[in-house]
Amino acid sequence: MAELLTRDLTVIAGKATLVRAANLSLRTGELVALLGPNGAGKTSLLRSALGLEKRATGSALLNGADSERLSPMQRARQVAYLPQQRPLAWPNTVRDVIALGRFAYGAAPGRLSAADAEAVDRAIGVCDLSTLTERQADTLSGGELARVHCARAFAAEAPLLVADEPVAALDPRHQFRIMDMMRTFVNDGGGALVVLHDIALAARYADRMVWMKDAEIVADGSPEDTLTTERMAEIYGVRARIDGRSVEIEGAI
Amino acid sequence: MSGRLLVPILAAASLLAIFAACLLGSTPLPADRVLAAFFGGADVGDRLVVWQIRLPRAIAAFVTGAALGISGAALQGLLRNPLAEPGVLGVSASASLFATFSLYYGLATLSSWVLPIAAIAGALAATALIALAAIRTRSVVTLILIGVGLSSFSGAAMSLLMNLAPNPFSLSDMINWMLGSVANRSFQEVGLAAPFLILGGGILLFSRRGLSALTLGEEAASGIGLNLRNQRILTVLGAGLATGGSVALAGAIGFVGIVAPHIIRPFVRHDPARSLLPSALLAGLILVLADIGVRLLPTSNELKLGVVAALIGAPAFVWIAIQRRALNG
Repeated sequence: MAELLTRDLTVIAGKATLVRAANLSLRTGELVALLGPNGAGKTSLLRSALGLEKRATGSALLNGADSERLSPMQRARQVAYLPQQRPLAWPNTVRDVIALGRFAYGAAPGRLSAADAEAVDRAIGVCDLSTLTERQADTLSGGELARVHCARAFAAEAPLLVADEPVAALDPRHQFRIMDMMRTFVNDGGGALVVLHDIALAARYADRMVWMKDAEIVADGSPEDTLTTERMAEIYGVRARIDGRSVEIEGAI
Repeated sequence: MSGRLLVPILAAASLLAIFAACLLGSTPLPADRVLAAFFGGADVGDRLVVWQIRLPRAIAAFVTGAALGISGAALQGLLRNPLAEPGVLGVSASASLFATFSLYYGLATLSSWVLPIAAIAGALAATALIALAAIRTRSVVTLILIGVGLSSFSGAAMSLLMNLAPNPFSLSDMINWMLGSVANRSFQEVGLAAPFLILGGGILLFSRRGLSALTLGEEAASGIGLNLRNQRILTVLGAGLATGGSVALAGAIGFVGIVAPHIIRPFVRHDPARSLLPSALLAGLILVLADIGVRLLPTSNELKLGVVAALIGAPAFVWIAIQRRALNG
């Protein structure tokens, strides 16, 4: 079993505290949604938990090892990371972009071992991209591109996946498709931490919801326990009607 | 054309071009006499023309182009922009400024290593500055503007040195540096630049896999296992050494490093790592051909290679920039 664990993790940039004493956990077999308004510190929490951003105090352990001390390759083999900004510099083919997911195993586009090629093919299958493998990535639609990035992350075949807003700016159907992929990944034994802004989508898919506001984690638990009218008002400043796992937002307070 | 044939074809074309460079010139030599001269036969005059004049010059043009081509391809991979290039980023200009400095103060007469080392110091200083700026800003336009600033400053400083030049001879030396040329290069000069060119090229080839990772952007690249800091250091060091070495040999020659990778990229599926070696070969080939052209053109004063390269390369730069605008809005 793989796990990512932070204890009292604090991130400071200049005078601003971006994350304050956060205790976050992610284990294989669960899909965790990280929620909170813009600027709550979600991305900073993820990056510092992964050791990509310096922390001020606290600890972040990836399978028991300090994530800041891991080499990028070691880290990449344990957790795949899908950042919020996903610019592609060159018009590579879909297969070559996905092949980059195998970088931590010494692979490069056009230089894949048999095991690498299999992992790439599996990811292409999971993300339903088999008809697009030779297309140049700059000719794809937003939804197709999102699937390519997911496939790139899946191709790493790391036990854990951290995805920062993987469904931002996608149409409803693609949002569901991406979340279905995340669910399949978890059902197959992975663990996924996903930043979402769509509460209804999060409530539908997540095993656990982690709520952040003003640099702090304010709640962490199952949707049934943590998704309440009061919490929606407190975190997002909206009036919401909640019935089990379904949410209807009625307006700003 | 398949990517596998690209390198052999370019290598063969380069050899052919270098051979052709030995045939052509003010007194054309037939192929059999050149071949005989290569293998130690032929008469003394032929051997002299081939071994002392034409071959070193052609090889100087080739390695200069190759160094600029590989540096351009690597810098484009690192900065994720097809307009990055030692000339555009001000690296060549800084290198020639440092080289001119060592000429002006007579330092270059102390040891024949002073000039290449000065050029490399200038190239490394400029490359490091660009890479530092690249950490702070995501905007490549900013980087190119910094490069323009560096070029202008180096140009101004060189003008100052020319203004103060003690005699017409040092003035003409400096102008040669600014314009870029491989005329009258000997194997000794090629040998002085060679260690730096080989080391720089080697570092760039050794670290090329990380350039593919950077296709995804820096954030995702470190996510998939790239050590970003090491990658930056290696690419900057490699490009600095190679560019500095080329400037030490031939002065500042612009735009080859932008044109060659641009032509190569579609053949290597736009993978920056795989573009390095073919870009180096193609850029070398281009400069050998351009230098043949320079020698054959019936002008009263021989044209400078750097001038011809810029005349061809600058419009290509503009064209690539305009295309890019259409693509990315």
